[in-house]
Amino acid sequence: MTFKRLAIAFSICIFLVYAGLILSLFYFYKGSLFFDILRSERTLFSLKLSLMTATATTVISIFFAIPSAYALSRYRFFGRQIIDTILELPMIVSPVALGALVLIFFNTPAGTLIQDRGVQVVFTVYGILLAQFITTVGIATRLIKAAMDEIPSRYEDVAKTLGASPAKAFLTITLPLSKRGIIASSILTWAKALGEFGATITVAGSMAMKTETLPVAIFMRLASADIEGTAVLVLMLIGLGLSVLYGVRMFTNRQPYV
Amino acid sequence: MPRIELRNISKHVLKDVDLTIEDKEIIALVGPNGAGKSTVLNVIAGLIGYKGEVWFDRKRMDRIPPHKRGIGYLFQDLALFPHLTVAANIAYGLRVQKYREEIISERVDELAKALHIERLKERYPRSLSGGEKQRVAIARAVAPFKKILLLDEPTSSLDAQTAKYLRAELGTLLRRLEITAVFVIHDLLGAEEIADRIAIIHKGRIEQVARPEEIFFDPKSSVVSEFIGMPNILSCVESRILSSGLIEVNCGAMRIVLPYEGNTINKIAIPPHDIYISDTKPPGPALNRYTGQILEIIPLRSVAHVKVSVGGNTLLAELSADTAAEMNLEVGQQVYVIVKLRRLRYFESEGR
Repeated sequence: MTFKRLAIAFSICIFLVYAGLILSLFYFYKGSLFFDILRSERTLFSLKLSLMTATATTVISIFFAIPSAYALSRYRFFGRQIIDTILELPMIVSPVALGALVLIFFNTPAGTLIQDRGVQVVFTVYGILLAQFITTVGIATRLIKAAMDEIPSRYEDVAKTLGASPAKAFLTITLPLSKRGIIASSILTWAKALGEFGATITVAGSMAMKTETLPVAIFMRLASADIEGTAVLVLMLIGLGLSVLYGVRMFTNRQPYV
Repeated sequence: MPRIELRNISKHVLKDVDLTIEDKEIIALVGPNGAGKSTVLNVIAGLIGYKGEVWFDRKRMDRIPPHKRGIGYLFQDLALFPHLTVAANIAYGLRVQKYREEIISERVDELAKALHIERLKERYPRSLSGGEKQRVAIARAVAPFKKILLLDEPTSSLDAQTAKYLRAELGTLLRRLEITAVFVIHDLLGAEEIADRIAIIHKGRIEQVARPEEIFFDPKSSVVSEFIGMPNILSCVESRILSSGLIEVNCGAMRIVLPYEGNTINKIAIPPHDIYISDTKPPGPALNRYTGQILEIIPLRSVAHVKVSVGGNTLLAELSADTAAEMNLEVGQQVYVIVKLRRLRYFESEGR
């Protein structure tokens, strides 16, 4: 067996593991039930809530990630290493622990003040957004930073000597050049936010028609031993996620600038 | 209008560099790698911090950021913006400075024409050849009506023929646009084709700033002399003054006779092509004739470099390839070495 075939065989193995898991859903799949569940108000609400929060989270996360990634990539400032390290927090701490951190924060005087005078976060949609935000923003920043690290700062030097201010050089050169990295980061952020469960249920709870996202709904069905219902929702989540990711990938995979 | 003045500049290897570049002058900074040539450009551009003062005419520039200094900079790696077309690359400086679109397209057309890249305007940098990229980068650097242009090895990545051609065009363009230009180049040939003056930089110091012919025929220090191709620098002590305006000096075990003008001599330079090598005893007086042993023979394309050990010195002689082949020289062979008296160059005491 050539090395090439061996390598490909490994990738096929990984595919088979996932495909096998997805296929097993169909053992419990009931066609009639699919449409019943899909049409139910509660499922539709979860679906809508998941899509909206994941999209909103992506926008917010990327909005914060772009300038911070740029700062970490280009400038040497005090605390840079610390910030860079803490970006990995969502990867080392489990989502439930992250959610617990948020809950604990809102029980401190500062947190209570925010909830009383500002916005109610715990057990609301804002809680979902916050939970998804903290689990994604670090990774989003990391990915965009990696993309920006790849772009020689020489381009910005040139832009500056041509009369561009640092901000203008960023907007006209570095930002467009890191477009692919930003898109990749957005896709991953969106996918991670869509599937986020641990932090979401900890911060926002699992109230039907209020804070029940698709992953939370799946957990609720499973908890009540509704295997068929669970299978349908899982299938829905997979179908939704994969088709969007695949679509975006197709759209952005073109060779640029030739 | 812009005259550039560097006063006491120190940065990296640069030590207290003073340099004045006159308005509309084209000056070449020449020196070996690591001499600090590019650092000088970065200081003028304000891309790096430095100690000392930079003046453009009567304006001190030290606190002015790069984008407000009004200089164009052609980087060695060109760094054409990969996501912009050739036309958009050239137009970039004009766009960020908010020129009107009519002026921009007029200027882009003018420069594209002057640099023969009109047909490339809609292409992306990725699909251009090295020479084409170079032309685009030049056009982009001068487009925003800059009066100062810094060029870092503008032709180093090109083959000799293309480089020569482009240097000539570049010179014409810079003079036509009345641009004060400072460019960095690592070898002297090429520099003298385009520069009004040449500054030789070595280890962070400017050794000499002069017109090309002065550098060639009257190098002010052994460093300059060595750089322009005189690797035979010998340390000598005077031994005796001869009649008829000659002096004899001892350089190791070599006694060399050279013209005497009343000054102290402690170093002499012998250009490699002024050392003759012969396998038979040449006729004529024995003045400046020695015997030596061949240490190494380095055949090059049209010449051969021969290293000979003479009286404790190692001399490099340059022979034509044909002559070398005729003599059938071998390493270890004893040969006669003749140094041409009138071509010797000597240096007065150098304290460094």
